[in-house]
Amino acid sequence: MAVAALAAALRWKRPEASQARVVLSGGGTGGHVNPALAIAEGIKAREPQTKFLYIGVRNKAESVIVTKAGYDLRYVCSEGYPGLRPSFKTFRFLFKLCVGIVQSLVILTVFTPRWIVATGGYVSAPVIMAAVLLKKLRIARVKIFLHEQNSIPGQLNALMGRWVDKVLLTFPQTLSFFPNGAVVGYPIRHSIVPVGEEEARKRLSFAIPEGRLVVFAFGGSQGARTINRAIVDALPYLLEHRERLFIVHGSGLACSSGYNAAEDTLRRISKVLGEDSPGLLSQFYYRKDYFHNIAEIYSISSLIVCRSGAGSLNEISRIGKPVLLIPKANLPGDHQVMNARAMRNAGAAEILFEDTVMEEGGLLEYLDGRVLAEKILALLEDRPRLKEMAEKSRAFLRREAIERIVSEIFDDKRFADGNGRVAPFRDLVGNCRLLRMLGQAHAAFGRSFDPALVVDDGDDLAYYRHRAAGLLSQKGWQERNLGVKLIGLTRHSEKIPTLLQMLSDRTPASLARRMFGGDFEQVGFIRRNIVNALMVIDRFGPEVEKHLLDAMEDPYFEVRAQACRAVTHFGALLVGNVSCVQALVERLEDSCFEVVIEAARALGEIGTEPGAVRSLLSMNQAHYWQVRNAALQGIKRMIERGVLTPSDRLMADLSSFILTSTDFRPHFQIKETYSALRKCFEGGDAIDYCRPTAAGSHKVAGKAK
Amino acid sequence: MIYELCKFLAPYSVSFSFFRLVNYITFRAIMSALTSVIFIFLFSRRFILLVHRKCLLDQVRETGVASVFDKRGTPTMGGVLIIGAVLISMALWGDWRNPFLLCSVAGMLWFGLLGLWDDIAKVKQKSGDRGLSERTKLVLQGLFSLIFAWVCVGRCAPLGCALATKVCVPFYKFPIADIGPVLYGLFIFLFVVFVSNAVNITDGLDGLAITPSIFVVAVLGVFAYVEGNRIYSAYLHYAYLRGAGELMIFGAAFVGAGLGFLWYNAYPAQIFMGDTGSLAIGGTMAVMSVLLKQEFLFPLLGGLFIAEALSSQIQDKIGVKWIGRRIFYRAPLHHNLQHKGIAETKVVIRLWIVAGILALISLATIKLR
Repeated sequence: MAVAALAAALRWKRPEASQARVVLSGGGTGGHVNPALAIAEGIKAREPQTKFLYIGVRNKAESVIVTKAGYDLRYVCSEGYPGLRPSFKTFRFLFKLCVGIVQSLVILTVFTPRWIVATGGYVSAPVIMAAVLLKKLRIARVKIFLHEQNSIPGQLNALMGRWVDKVLLTFPQTLSFFPNGAVVGYPIRHSIVPVGEEEARKRLSFAIPEGRLVVFAFGGSQGARTINRAIVDALPYLLEHRERLFIVHGSGLACSSGYNAAEDTLRRISKVLGEDSPGLLSQFYYRKDYFHNIAEIYSISSLIVCRSGAGSLNEISRIGKPVLLIPKANLPGDHQVMNARAMRNAGAAEILFEDTVMEEGGLLEYLDGRVLAEKILALLEDRPRLKEMAEKSRAFLRREAIERIVSEIFDDKRFADGNGRVAPFRDLVGNCRLLRMLGQAHAAFGRSFDPALVVDDGDDLAYYRHRAAGLLSQKGWQERNLGVKLIGLTRHSEKIPTLLQMLSDRTPASLARRMFGGDFEQVGFIRRNIVNALMVIDRFGPEVEKHLLDAMEDPYFEVRAQACRAVTHFGALLVGNVSCVQALVERLEDSCFEVVIEAARALGEIGTEPGAVRSLLSMNQAHYWQVRNAALQGIKRMIERGVLTPSDRLMADLSSFILTSTDFRPHFQIKETYSALRKCFEGGDAIDYCRPTAAGSHKVAGKAK
Repeated sequence: MIYELCKFLAPYSVSFSFFRLVNYITFRAIMSALTSVIFIFLFSRRFILLVHRKCLLDQVRETGVASVFDKRGTPTMGGVLIIGAVLISMALWGDWRNPFLLCSVAGMLWFGLLGLWDDIAKVKQKSGDRGLSERTKLVLQGLFSLIFAWVCVGRCAPLGCALATKVCVPFYKFPIADIGPVLYGLFIFLFVVFVSNAVNITDGLDGLAITPSIFVVAVLGVFAYVEGNRIYSAYLHYAYLRGAGELMIFGAAFVGAGLGFLWYNAYPAQIFMGDTGSLAIGGTMAVMSVLLKQEFLFPLLGGLFIAEALSSQIQDKIGVKWIGRRIFYRAPLHHNLQHKGIAETKVVIRLWIVAGILALISLATIKLR
């Protein structure tokens, strides 16, 4: 072992090892590979003798792109991090990682690189770990650079960042994560250069009729199912404008068992447009798996629709085009959403969020084709806006990224500027924190509560709503429950039908749960919170009314009580509603006193006929004082509403109520005085009684603390 | 100290023969109870002021019942007083060579210090829900219970090896089974952890935890007297436990301290016992019942504590966390009663009555076997 290490260390000292050798790594998707290649191009331009070796994983994006670019490529074992929960996957991950590290050790020792440039992604994990190991054992004299493309660092970069020599960053905001970071921007390959539109059209392999606005939709090198399906779904709506539009669609290279981009897209087209789709789409729509000459496509486009990976954003910015972003949600650190926000805040982009739906027995991200089509058309209508967005888009990119990176690698300090720290992003808040914030605001403002004011940004609110909707179809009821609460508090009224469907869902819970008193898959808390969410959203309709009546018959008492509360809430719309009053009168016989209380109050709010009054009066000897109290409150409310006139008869009936109670409210005089005193402090300057005036001032000051 | 002094002096002179009185357990029990009451009366006001000055006040806790909100700012950590009073009184009147006494005092101190740590953590975090983590608490409680269980079934068990692993149930004269040291040790371990937490859960309303604890400890004291007395134990068919009588003195000191504490803790409370008190009381009761072989009587004797703990755990672990609905309106039991519209004072007194009845029934098992 020691001999091998010594031999390896000696290899690094060989004279020919001083020749520049660079190991590149990173991949999994084009977003990691392309920057690595761009950096390689930069180094080559400066030192043409440099030898390169690319280390990647078999059958991933790099195996196509790197070979085409003409670099040597070696494969190692690696796998994505499966998450904290121990399972079979964790073992496989660890095993593959160890094998990959050993492979990388061998490759590195044979190649003896001077620099290692990794661009993130799990592909580069074994390489970086092996390199850090060699370096810490003082075997290898190698400098390790990581490039982080996103505004929120990936797991690997966040973990390994502190062990490497330098972390090269795209966004200044990311500096807060890495003390050894340097902001350089995003390296873009030289093939991505603005081309004149005429020039680009000539070079295309397909013809675009004159005078058409080109919309280019793609989902990154691998393709994105949501975007592919959404753009196909949007075609029927866009077809109406076929004489002035042309759609270019890059559907992606993905061909795994889970999703085959090309096949799925073609199937979808024939499903949406029927048999004669080729005829309809000729001269209007062009699809290809992957555009190697993507710069030309960018150049001819008027609008680009894509994911908000850092790579795509920076390429688009280089060309300077307006873009409609559909960020992928629930990625680590929500980095695509963050990237999209950065570009939107720069004025260069618009954002659409996906929805989460159950389809084919599984969860799917889904974007309505109609929504997408409308958004595209609206953007294309507004020419000045498009132009402005294009300008802003061009200004978004940090220029000379490659030059900066090469300068960092050669350590020549050519760019001393540009590392100014920028305030980090205002973070997106987690679901629980969001729930707390919105809950407090709702408690404070009641019906005039507006989530947009709390969240303070329309797009963020849209994203939160999207995230909440995603929770609704989770497996654990706790997540669904959280989703329901958030749907309510973000006032996501489009999801009311889903909520109502969940409320009346009668799928039984597992046998074990039912033995302990559980009932349905949508557990009691979820149903209660759905009713509550309906109150918070504050939209009433016949469907809601029907489901509220059903909820009053729910087997779980809190749902019944909450349904009665909801009737009180929507009282003005339900006054005199016969079926509703009937249901409430039945609830007065409920076995649970909480329900009876709420029913009595609700009856006071919506009851009109004498029957309701009689049933309230009949509760004069109820066991629970709260029930009697609620009945009196109900009658009082009826008098206030003017449906009941005070009379001697009524007075006599009221005097038959039992007025003893088992509860009372203590009042502590000293606490009342104190709180009254505190009220005096609101506004206005306090007298500074601590000013040192006489002896003993010390004591007073001490107490004032 | 007084016990040792008197014992030392009594043989020397006829004029000191009066000091033989300390050989009578009943006398020492009464004296220790008086000592602890007087200790509490002497020091409570000062202690409350001290706690105020150090801002060791009760922090708000989310329980969903309105009256709790009025209570923030009440001084907490009253358990320190109780423990202090018992310790002083035992230092004066106790026989420190007695293994029963040592075990009980160790239990009280361990749980008391654990509770103290929790209380201080809560004050520092400014939240009633964020003291020590539940896991830390359980681990530390478990650690003591483990050592205690090992002592109880081990070679130097205070009960004697013959009786140590036998199971005795109420209303039956003879041990029903011998389940071996491992199973019995496991049972003791779980029992001690459960009971100490049960009192902690019960301690939610003014005076709710202390009075039932007084009942329980008093009954256990009577048992200690009977089982530690050769004649009575033979007459009532109990196994004679040599030295168990010392636990009666300990119990008496505890009852005295409890009464003194109730003086200040009665509604509306001027001081709470805090986790310091509740854990210490729980630990003491658990250790005492194990030492007196009355662990199977405890579900009856401390039925109130058991009901509180079970209702809270069932609501939380089965209801809220697993099947996703409330099983009781509110938990634990006393909050459920409050939610049904019974005033705090009424709830407390009703539960006292329940605890008293249970104590009486338990006392009857001395003869009813």
